[in-house]
Amino acid sequence: MKEIVKITIGLTLTCLIAAGIMGGVFIITAKAKKHNEYLNFKENMLALLGYNQTNPAPDSLQLCTVYRYLIYQGDKTSLGYMLPVKTKKTKDIRYQFIRVNIQGQFIDKFDLDIETAQTNDIKDRNKAIAAVLPKEVSQIVFADRFIAATNNDKRLAYLLPGKSPGFKTHINFMLALDSTYSIVGLQILEHQEDPGLGAEIEQEYFKNQFTAKTSERLKTLKVIKEPLPDDQLKFLERKKWAKDAYSEKDIETLQKKYQDKDICAITGATISSVAVVNGVKNVVTKFVYRVKVLEKIISKQNISVAF
Amino acid sequence: MIENNKSYSNIFLNGILNENPIFRLALSMCPAVGISTNVMNGLLMGIAVLFVQFCSSLTISLVKNFIHPRIRIPTYTLTIATWVTVTDLVLAAFFPVAYKSLGIFVRLIVVFCFITMRLDVFARKNPVFPSLVDAVGMGFGFMLGMMAIGGVRELMGMGTLLGYDILGFRPLLFFVLPCSGFFVVGFMMAIFNYTEIIYNRRKRARSVA
Repeated sequence: MKEIVKITIGLTLTCLIAAGIMGGVFIITAKAKKHNEYLNFKENMLALLGYNQTNPAPDSLQLCTVYRYLIYQGDKTSLGYMLPVKTKKTKDIRYQFIRVNIQGQFIDKFDLDIETAQTNDIKDRNKAIAAVLPKEVSQIVFADRFIAATNNDKRLAYLLPGKSPGFKTHINFMLALDSTYSIVGLQILEHQEDPGLGAEIEQEYFKNQFTAKTSERLKTLKVIKEPLPDDQLKFLERKKWAKDAYSEKDIETLQKKYQDKDICAITGATISSVAVVNGVKNVVTKFVYRVKVLEKIISKQNISVAF
Repeated sequence: MIENNKSYSNIFLNGILNENPIFRLALSMCPAVGISTNVMNGLLMGIAVLFVQFCSSLTISLVKNFIHPRIRIPTYTLTIATWVTVTDLVLAAFFPVAYKSLGIFVRLIVVFCFITMRLDVFARKNPVFPSLVDAVGMGFGFMLGMMAIGGVRELMGMGTLLGYDILGFRPLLFFVLPCSGFFVVGFMMAIFNYTEIIYNRRKRARSVA
């Protein structure tokens, strides 16, 4: 009996010391890790817009993030959007918070006291928003965000981060939509699918199948269990081939030919394929609805948004 | 204090030659086969293992008098797991590129049997300094083994070394595939065993003469 107590105390102490060391290292490294994640996220965003190391993004490129919040006030729920706004005198970006009810009607707007550098941190954001909202509001919850990319005041694309329950855990992805809400590109950010099976969702031949699908087409988009035809496969993986294998005209005609096809499932990974397709459909449908409501409000209230 | 009569250089070389974890003990083959597709991966993995082995040996030889003999294996596992987590966090924070290519193998260091074996066989019974020498020797033995396998596979499979183009063509793509890891390890083990046989034969001949 005495021995058991001894062993228990010994193991507990060891565990506590181990936990202390690990916790300490975690605190030290957390900031750098977050920064890495942010860089990775930004790199993915630029890659979706077609920029990479050989073709760097121009300085005039601006990425503006719009944050969507849920606001609980008693038993009533309303929505809040945190919008980047251009100031008239200087060209700095300030943030405004607008409240919208469930029916999409504008309620009120507030100026936020927050710097652009701070907006990435959810705590700073929540603090700034809570400071301006009336006292009756009981809770604000960050729902999601989208990023509008502009170049010289011309809207290039909307970038939508999203996630979808995959075969094991969530698949995190990012979509790029053009101004008519058809898909420009898809990027898989993080997933835990099986290598060789579900992990194939990272491959060009799967991701590129989504290119140029319109938001109308997405509503009826299905996953079919058929192998990809060889010529389509070659077209989807065209980055692997020599640059002159496809002329720009070829790409245009072939893109038209394939863009309305359903998505071919990955062999042995139907669940992962369906998960990505459902996630994309879900994100796009909700986004298109929301952005239309938002745009109506912006033009009615005469808010000079930065995107 | 069983190995007190051995000098430090002997203890150090023991890990690299006589008891090389990959080629002589055939322990921890999973990473040896899994990620030794090029020299750089082998080197990074070797450094990670060296760090974990060093810290764990230090910890265990410092606290060896407080470890209850009945729970020594859980204590080793806990120690190794702690240092592996530390390595994992540090790599993820400060070396994201290396972390990406090593992937889950860093976390697998927890179950590398030769680290546990070293703690049980050596660090538990010896003072701090010899344990550290032993740990560094073992770590280097593993690192050199990984780099050797990685070098052969990279040269044969991709025609490059450390990313520099050496041959200009790809001799056998087969060497990049996972199964070839076993072949390379097998051949290297054979070379080690052959050298040992030759060495022992000469030694015997000398002692007879």
